Amino acid sequence: MTRFLARRLLYAVPVLLGVSIIVFLTVKIIPGDPVATLAGINSTDAQKAALRHSLGLDKNIVVQFWTWLTHALEGNLGTSIAQHRPTAGLVMSAFGNTLILAAYAMILAVVLGMLLGGVAALKPRSIIGRVCSAISSISVSAPQYSVALLFIIFISLGTGAFPVSGMHGTGGGGVGDLLWHGFLPALTSALVPAGMIGRVFRASLLDALGMDFVEALRARGLSTNRILFHAVHNTLPSLLTMAGLQVGYLLGGVVFVETIFSWPGLGELLFNSISSRDLPVIQAGVLVSAAAFVLVNIVVDSAHALIDSRVRNT
Amino acid sequence: MTSITTADLSADSPLAPPVRARRRARATGRRIPLGVYLYGGLAGVLVLLGIIGPWVAGNVTSGNLSERLLGMGAGGHLLGTDGQGRDVVARLIAGARPSMISALLPVAVSGLLGSGLGIAAGMASGWLHSLIMRILDVFYAFPAVLLAIAIAAALGPGTTTTVIALSVVLIPPIARVAETETMRLHGMDFMEAAHASGASTLRIAGRQVLPNVMPALLVYATSLIGLALVFAGGMSFLGLGVAPPHPEWGQMINEQRQNMYTAPMTALIPAIVIFAASLIFNQLGDALRDLLDIRRSTR
Repeated sequence: MTRFLARRLLYAVPVLLGVSIIVFLTVKIIPGDPVATLAGINSTDAQKAALRHSLGLDKNIVVQFWTWLTHALEGNLGTSIAQHRPTAGLVMSAFGNTLILAAYAMILAVVLGMLLGGVAALKPRSIIGRVCSAISSISVSAPQYSVALLFIIFISLGTGAFPVSGMHGTGGGGVGDLLWHGFLPALTSALVPAGMIGRVFRASLLDALGMDFVEALRARGLSTNRILFHAVHNTLPSLLTMAGLQVGYLLGGVVFVETIFSWPGLGELLFNSISSRDLPVIQAGVLVSAAAFVLVNIVVDSAHALIDSRVRNT
Repeated sequence: MTSITTADLSADSPLAPPVRARRRARATGRRIPLGVYLYGGLAGVLVLLGIIGPWVAGNVTSGNLSERLLGMGAGGHLLGTDGQGRDVVARLIAGARPSMISALLPVAVSGLLGSGLGIAAGMASGWLHSLIMRILDVFYAFPAVLLAIAIAAALGPGTTTTVIALSVVLIPPIARVAETETMRLHGMDFMEAAHASGASTLRIAGRQVLPNVMPALLVYATSLIGLALVFAGGMSFLGLGVAPPHPEWGQMINEQRQNMYTAPMTALIPAIVIFAASLIFNQLGDALRDLLDIRRSTR
């Protein structure tokens, strides 16, 4: 297991390097000369050259990348153009709130997905089974921004049961308040992952129930519930894979969900940075998100290796 | 199992047809499922709307401010008017073009580039294969929406930007499917025969590999259209798509969001339209995949 983890961590290094190269390059594809824009229209060539030198833009692109990367590794991700504050601080404080939302959404997605997929697999011919199947396949098409509006208009404004925006009520509040405020944003984010997990869980549960070991367990006289437990245990690897994949979807989707529900996370920060063309913040946000996603993948793979020795030994 | 993959994209791979397909195949034989016709027809209507939309919609960029936020059916406006007094139906019809372009064109572009890359990787020798696949892994490490945002934010808003950003995001998953499908062919009799006859690699790629990987790639590409539509709507929701006052579905949602409490329908209608359109394309993708599974298991 240690060897597996070591190899997996080692493999993440070139991937993260590649990620940082791509993020670095997004600045380089900006049309036009950044120095000319910064220096203003009336600047002389000498002034431009001086500015170019002070920004390090006269150096080789590899040198520029190296400088940028070493700064990034020291936690220096540049300064926000709009807010004139270090980007790293802005992004990290917002990212915490995003992680809360993403974790909440993930829990809802797994519970909802297993419920939908399980019922669909166990009652394939009944109406409720078909309804669960249909909900799974409709929900995977649902854009977060559409669902967010539907929820706000029909649930929040319609019934007043849940707050429309923010993370906390006035004057703070405890965990219960956070869960209450986060419910609709989390459910919005969770819908597509839940549908995906539901589909996979249904298919792999049906597969597992058709396997020989189920017949053997039945012959040994195990109760239906015990057999089901073993079958569900058999679906864990595929569930885990799908859940891990959906983390990327959650981390991307927060841009829409947080914006509409005014959740003070990375997504809302990115939305505001897009309208003010605050590229350093956008870059830092994308970089942090991608790094977190790589980390989640390592965790998922390790969990995989823990439950399945075949993965561990490949 | 240990490779890094992205979430939103590779979610349902067309590979590894489920076991149950075989049983159903015997019952249905080679009949084309109803869903293919139904959703294919609806998708056709959307594409047609994308082509003729702006020509039939009339004036959609300016409205009569005395007629703002009318309800459904009021004053001859079937779905009412938005916050600027513009007819919602007309804007939806006119907005179909940028929405369709920014959903279909990226899938087409990345379909071409991605399958080329994937087939090349699948046919290449060890180191080149690894190089291509490891580079794709890097793209998979990004949450797809965020990568598209980073690219589009740098390039500046516009439909072209959306198309470029989404194409980049969609290439890796298509390439990966193409690679897997190409690898499946290794060692098959007709491939051995082609090699033995002395055909060049390029000729084998065109004559043997391409026709065999095509069906799976087409099905997979179709299933990505719905996703591209949602992404494209999201990009213009964020202000990275078509510039106002020209309409686009995602941008209509964001623009009318401010009227959510007084006239919720103005923002809700485009939101439902994108949902429905993505549902249609996804259902078409599913129906085509079932068809492919049937074909495969009866072969």
